[in-house]
Amino acid sequence: MILADDAVLLREGLTRILADSGFDVLGQAGDGTALVDLVRDSAPDVAIIDLRMPPDFGSEGIDAATRIRAIAPQVGLMLLSQHLEVHHALRLMTEFDRGVGYLLKDRVSDLAAFVADVRRVAGGDVVLDSELVHRLVARRRQQDPLDRLSEREREVLALMAQGLTNAGLSAELHVSLKTVEGHVHSIFTKLDLDADQRSHRRVLAVLRFLRS
Amino acid sequence: MCPALAAAREARYDDAPSLAREAAVGCLGLLVLGLVGYGATLGFHVGNLHNGLLAVSFAGVGLYVLRARPGHRIGQLFVGLGVASAVMYFGRQYGLHTPSLPGSEWLAWLSIWPVPLSMAVAGVGVMVFPTGQHLSQRWRVVAYAMVGLAMLIALASALWPIEDDWARADLTFPFRTGGENTAQSIVAPLMAVSYAGFQVLWAAAVVTRLRRAGRDEVRQLRWFVSAVAVPTLLLVGGAIAWQTPLPGLLTLWLIPVAAGVAIVRYRLYDIDPVINKTLVIGAMVLLIFVGYVAVVVGVGALLPLSDGVLALAATTAVAVAFEPVRRRAQRLADRLVYGARATPYETLSRLSAQLNHSDDSLLDGLAATIAGGLRASDVVVWVGETDWMRAVSAWPSAPSDAGRPLAELGDGRDLVRPVRYDGRVRGALVLRRASRDPLAPAEEQLLADLVAQAGLVIDHRARLEQVARQATELQAAARRIVTAQDSARRRLERDLHDGAQQRLVTLGLELGALVERARAAGSVDLVQRVEESRRQLLDATAELREIARGVHPAALTQDGLEAALANMTDRSPVPVRLQVTLDRRLPAEIEATAYFLVSEALTNSARHAQAESVDVTVTLDSGRLMVAVTDDGIGGAQSEPGGGLQGLADRLSALGAPLDLVSPPGSGTTVRTVLACE
Repeated sequence: MILADDAVLLREGLTRILADSGFDVLGQAGDGTALVDLVRDSAPDVAIIDLRMPPDFGSEGIDAATRIRAIAPQVGLMLLSQHLEVHHALRLMTEFDRGVGYLLKDRVSDLAAFVADVRRVAGGDVVLDSELVHRLVARRRQQDPLDRLSEREREVLALMAQGLTNAGLSAELHVSLKTVEGHVHSIFTKLDLDADQRSHRRVLAVLRFLRS
Repeated sequence: MCPALAAAREARYDDAPSLAREAAVGCLGLLVLGLVGYGATLGFHVGNLHNGLLAVSFAGVGLYVLRARPGHRIGQLFVGLGVASAVMYFGRQYGLHTPSLPGSEWLAWLSIWPVPLSMAVAGVGVMVFPTGQHLSQRWRVVAYAMVGLAMLIALASALWPIEDDWARADLTFPFRTGGENTAQSIVAPLMAVSYAGFQVLWAAAVVTRLRRAGRDEVRQLRWFVSAVAVPTLLLVGGAIAWQTPLPGLLTLWLIPVAAGVAIVRYRLYDIDPVINKTLVIGAMVLLIFVGYVAVVVGVGALLPLSDGVLALAATTAVAVAFEPVRRRAQRLADRLVYGARATPYETLSRLSAQLNHSDDSLLDGLAATIAGGLRASDVVVWVGETDWMRAVSAWPSAPSDAGRPLAELGDGRDLVRPVRYDGRVRGALVLRRASRDPLAPAEEQLLADLVAQAGLVIDHRARLEQVARQATELQAAARRIVTAQDSARRRLERDLHDGAQQRLVTLGLELGALVERARAAGSVDLVQRVEESRRQLLDATAELREIARGVHPAALTQDGLEAALANMTDRSPVPVRLQVTLDRRLPAEIEATAYFLVSEALTNSARHAQAESVDVTVTLDSGRLMVAVTDDGIGGAQSEPGGGLQGLADRLSALGAPLDLVSPPGSGTTVRTVLACE
């Protein structure tokens, strides 16, 4: 894997801890350009990228991710940020169809969960920070279509929005795959959404719905 | 202009006569008209015609003067002469009537003996015209002598039939006193010499006055002198050539009429506005009369309509025509009375009307007013100090933009008047006049008044400019403060992001690793304590994150107003409908201001308004960003000192934008502004 963050201290710390957790850290970069070069040279499985990097401290991380996807489509992309912004999540879901993640930087302190998320992204899954999703699901609306969902279905929807596949849902909720499929079908019908099975489209549809 | 001065000026230029004075003037006028009118019905006598003409002309001019200037010497003399002439005319008409009327002798007597007196009084009137004052003490003595002599002759004339009229006309002296022939032989030559002498005296007085007069007075007297010359020559010539004073007598009315013309045309006694109104009212009375008669008689003859319908039609026609005709009559009267020149009163009042406009048209108005008041073909207003001025306004053309010192203003034929205010030269007026004549004293006075006014106007303008300049500077400074504040906030957020927040994340990472290690070591107690520390750290970073967002949301700088507002409304506890119509990024301080406005309004809606939903609309239209936040809450919101809305208002006013807060109790709250983005 490869790490890109302009904060050296954090970068070094992550490198050490991820190495301890069994990752092979191939290199570190301080900005987007160095990161893209590094990925081209070392062909990692996954890149962990700070969303806000030099030179402009905007969304350079997403720009670098786009270039990486163009030259090395198989590389999983995990973006970390100090702030969670819905429009960033939407952009990631729109521009990438697999192997992408968007987490709050704080998540690195829960090592086990973080490592699991990185592995999922490396494996091609979509991962969205639960706080972002919960913020949207918890949002009050004037006429809330989420009212039509049962408690269980809302739980499933939130996990779905975080990028979990049906198999992932089944494992997370400790129910059979068939039950999960039933819930998902019911949710998509009630919310009038297109039940695409590819994870990123599913997440994108749910995000758009939640934001509307 | 100070109020006392304004009042004095107004009194000098125009004062409406009181009702009592109007009534007195009207009664005297009616008396004269009555006597002359009734007299005229009693027959026609060429020898008496002059008395009627003198009565109407002297009384008319005299009453006109007295109406506006009661106590004026000329007015009193003229009215006296008019009334006396009317009595004399009526008496003679009555006495000459065939068949003879009762008491005709006495009335004829009344018409003849005052002749020398009226001649002497008319002489005094001519001698003191137009000022009402004698030329000198010596002239006064001569005038008294003339009146005294006239009284003696009149007394003789009242006692004996000495006047030629008794012999010439078919009149009878009412009584006999004896010594008739003796009196005749003494008084008749005296009378002839006196009459000739009186006329020479007037002529001499008028000529002397003419020679001593200033330019203004000469012009006023020119008419009058001709009017005095004609009857004088005719009287003398007539007496010599045809042995009759009649041609001279019949032209005597020219004198009061010429006096009247001089008074009106040259605005002697400053009473022209009165005649103006009189002319208009006269025209209107004529219109109503003629219109009514035309409709009732003219249309009535052509169409078989009832009188009621005709009267209604006539009234309607007159009513419809009234205002346009009045306006036209006013314009005609203005032109007749004033010519192209405005009165000093008009000029000054026009100027003070101009003063109410507080923009650059002020000086344009000043130039035009001066041109109108002084018949200048070209007026330029210069503003500046003695050593350098620039033309800021001109009439009729636009000013050239070249500047020059006061000494070089105008060419040889222009009038240059420096304008002072507060003892300092503040500008200059340069006038080019149609004629090369120097200014008459009255015009000189008007120009001096206008120059003083110009000082006020120029000072007023300078103050306005200074205030505008200071306001602009203040606004720019306020805007710089807002911009500086914004960039300070942005820097602070960046520093937090790159410094404290990164360090805390790193610390969290270390704590997380420590938990794993403690777990591997099997120390349950340690796992719990470190895990607790990690949770607290996460809470702290979450708090810090919110603070950083409040200081300056990163999304605003990086992704623009729409993204930042979307993030804000995602977090809002009250449902928000967000509508943003933007096709480009806007200046940072505009975006930040719009963001903070929505933020403050949303916070208020959520905290105080008990709102069910909020509408946020942001629209960019032709360079103006309109931001409106409307909730459906309880309303009654107020901007309090030191409160968020007050801070917002300050921030907006620094950008020259208003804060519009509409919050009637029970009907929701709207916070709105319009920001200029160019």
